[in-house]
Parts: sequence; structure tokens; C-alpha cells
Amino acid sequence: MRVQAYFDGEVDAVSAVEIERHLERCAECRELQRHLSQTRTALRRDLSYHRVPPALAARVRDALADEPVPVAAARERLRPLRLPRLRPFWSGALSGAGLSAIAAALALFLWLPPRTDAVVDDLMSAHLRSVMSTHLIDVVSSDRHTVKPWFAGHTDVSPTVADFDSQGYKLIGGRAEYLARQRSAVLVYQHGAHLIDVFTWAADGTAARGFNEVTRSGYQLLFWRQDDLEYCAVSDTGRDELQGLARLIQGIR
Amino acid sequence: MDDKRRRFEAQVLPHLDAAYNFARWLAPAPGDADDVLQEAALRAFRAFDALRVSDVKGWLFAIVRNCHFTALKQRQRRSQVPLPEEHDAVDGEAMIADTPDPETLAIQLDQARTLDQLMQALPCEYREVLTLREIEDLSYREIASVINAPIGTVMSRLARARALLKGHWLEKVEGAPRAVR
Repeated sequence: MRVQAYFDGEVDAVSAVEIERHLERCAECRELQRHLSQTRTALRRDLSYHRVPPALAARVRDALADEPVPVAAARERLRPLRLPRLRPFWSGALSGAGLSAIAAALALFLWLPPRTDAVVDDLMSAHLRSVMSTHLIDVVSSDRHTVKPWFAGHTDVSPTVADFDSQGYKLIGGRAEYLARQRSAVLVYQHGAHLIDVFTWAADGTAARGFNEVTRSGYQLLFWRQDDLEYCAVSDTGRDELQGLARLIQGIR
Repeated sequence: MDDKRRRFEAQVLPHLDAAYNFARWLAPAPGDADDVLQEAALRAFRAFDALRVSDVKGWLFAIVRNCHFTALKQRQRRSQVPLPEEHDAVDGEAMIADTPDPETLAIQLDQARTLDQLMQALPCEYREVLTLREIEDLSYREIASVINAPIGTVMSRLARARALLKGHWLEKVEGAPRAVR
């Protein structure tokens, strides 16, 4: 169980060192670790990933469109919070306009984004737009000699283009996005069942961002700067996977 | 378009593929999974105002899972099949689902298909933790919250699920019955 927790990245640094030391000595645990790794590789590579068929997506959208949006929804949600014994007090304090105002304030508070950063918003929107629509790729190719010249004609930057298929990150194409007031380049990689967008735009020279991680709505964004370009990898895959790709891209010059 | 719909589209709909994949691995029949996804999307929309978790994806998975079990109970009641008893995760071998029997699976199928079928042959409790951990990359804590179980249970189910899958794979592909670790 400890080897599994270590394999899943669920142990602290001290335990990890202990387990690594144990793995050096114990052939049985090394074998277990190898099995875990093989199982994960096989599942991520070969297990069917079922995407929503277009007909079902349409059905769900229709069903959602028919769903009314009750004006007093927030008010109803709060009702179970009232304790029966305190009812006279609460019903007075929270009645009518008072309750609505509190509900509205609460809703506003809950929905404030954890971080207001225009670039993060733009990147998330661009990524989601492309995943949700069919505009995923403008130039379909795993060949960097096809993708790179295409960028030259369609974007303001010329990013590093490389395929890392053997390392698990398959280049499937590129597209152009308008971002940070310029035509930025997007490389699209496939990693297992996940798509990773790597955005590239010219750094403006002021905001030195470093290596920076942001999580938004279950999506990971990983920023870094390379030469005079800003990079950001966006995906619903894990943080480790994004860092793996970032390191590969940083490794080539 | 009103604000709630816009927020829902931006925050929940992007996870629809992942939710559908999860539903397909919970309810192997595509028609069932389709219904589960639609119901889950509606329930998610209705509950969206009350949502105060940061992990939208895990929240959606939990709804998909609830919809699946509700639909499963209805189907079973309709066909007058008694509900299966609650199994304990410790009793691993007894939990192997009866259909389809891994022994009868065609041997010459390609790897992906074989893996799909081996996965399908695992009990639901194991399929869901494997999907959430290996495909969706959820942490133990996130999985525990989706399946509403303690982290210890997540860990033991995961260990058992991986060992069973590996054991069946070795039997099937390499033809060597080996001790399941």
C-alpha cells in the first residue's frame, strides 16, 4: 500500500525518501512498482475513452435550454440552513429583501474568481472554445516542418515546434489565437486521452512571470518564459504531465 | 443568455466528455450512459446555484455516479431482479462481476479491446476508482469525495483493482495463471 501511495504521488517528501531507499533493497516492491507502472501505461494508452457523441451533446443542450432558471433559486437553497427553533428570529432577519440581498451577496462572493488575471481568463477561454467547438486545429500535422512554416504565415511568433511522441506527447497540430493583443501560436499535443494546448506569444518585457502554476475550474495552466517568448500549457490533465511537456519543450533549442 | 447559463457553460460543460467517459465505465451499455449523462447535466444545472466547491469536475463526477445508481436501481426494480448485496471491498475475489466472464473472452482480440473487456469484467467499485485515478488523474482525496468513502477504502480498492486487472491481463495475454498480487 505504501508503494502504491508513493507511485500515486500521495506521500510526503520524507516518506518518499524512505520508500525509495526501501525500493533499492526490496526486489518484491520494485516488481510491484513495475506492475503499477505497466498497468497505468496500458490503461492510459489503450483503454477506450468515450467522448460525448454529437447527437447526445445536442440532446443535452436541448434539455438544458428547456430548463427554467428560477429567479428565487438562491433563496430556496438557503432555506434548509434555518434551524427550526430559531425560526422566528431567522425568518424575521432573513425575510424578503433582506434574504435576497444576503443571497445575492453570497452568490457574488462564491463566484468571485480566485485570481483576477486577464491573461489567465483569455487562455482559459481560448482553450475551452477550441475544445468545445471543432476549431481545435488549423494545421493538422505531427511534422514540425509542416507546422513551423504555417505559423510563420499566420502568427506573430515562431515558437519551438517538436513532436515528443516517444515520450508520450504526440504533436497533432497547431492553430492561431488572438491573445495578448497579438496573433499567438498554439501547439496542440495529445497525451493519453487528454489534449494539451501550448500557447506562445511574445513577452512584453515587463511581466517576468517565471515558472508559474494556476488551477482554474479543474484545468491546469503552467506558465514559463523561454528566450523572448511567453509559454502557457493548458489542459485538464495533471500537473506532473504538464511539467513533463514543459521540460521537454525547454530542453530543445 | 442569462448569467447562470453562461457560468454553467463555462465551468461545467467543458467536463462533459470526462463525465461521459466516467458514465460509460460505470454503465457499460451506451444507451444507459447517455441517459445518465443527460440526467446528470440537468441535476448539475439545477444544483448549480448551491455549488460552493472549487472542484467542479469531481462534483460533476459525483452527480453522474448518483444518477447511475438511481437509474440502475430503477432498471433492476423494473426487471424484478433483486438488488445485489453490498459487498465489502476486502472480499475482492467474490466481487468479480458475472458478466462477461473473462475466461470466455476471445483471446485474439487486440490489446485495446482486450483491456476494455478486462476492465468491463471488473466490478463497478473497481472500475470507478481505476477510471478516476488512472484516466482522470484525481487524487485519493478527490476520489474519496466522489465515491463518498474514506481515503483508506479508496486505497484498498485501488490496490485490489490494479492487482486484479494485472492478474487477468497476465492470464489472458501471456496465458500464465499467476498469483494475483
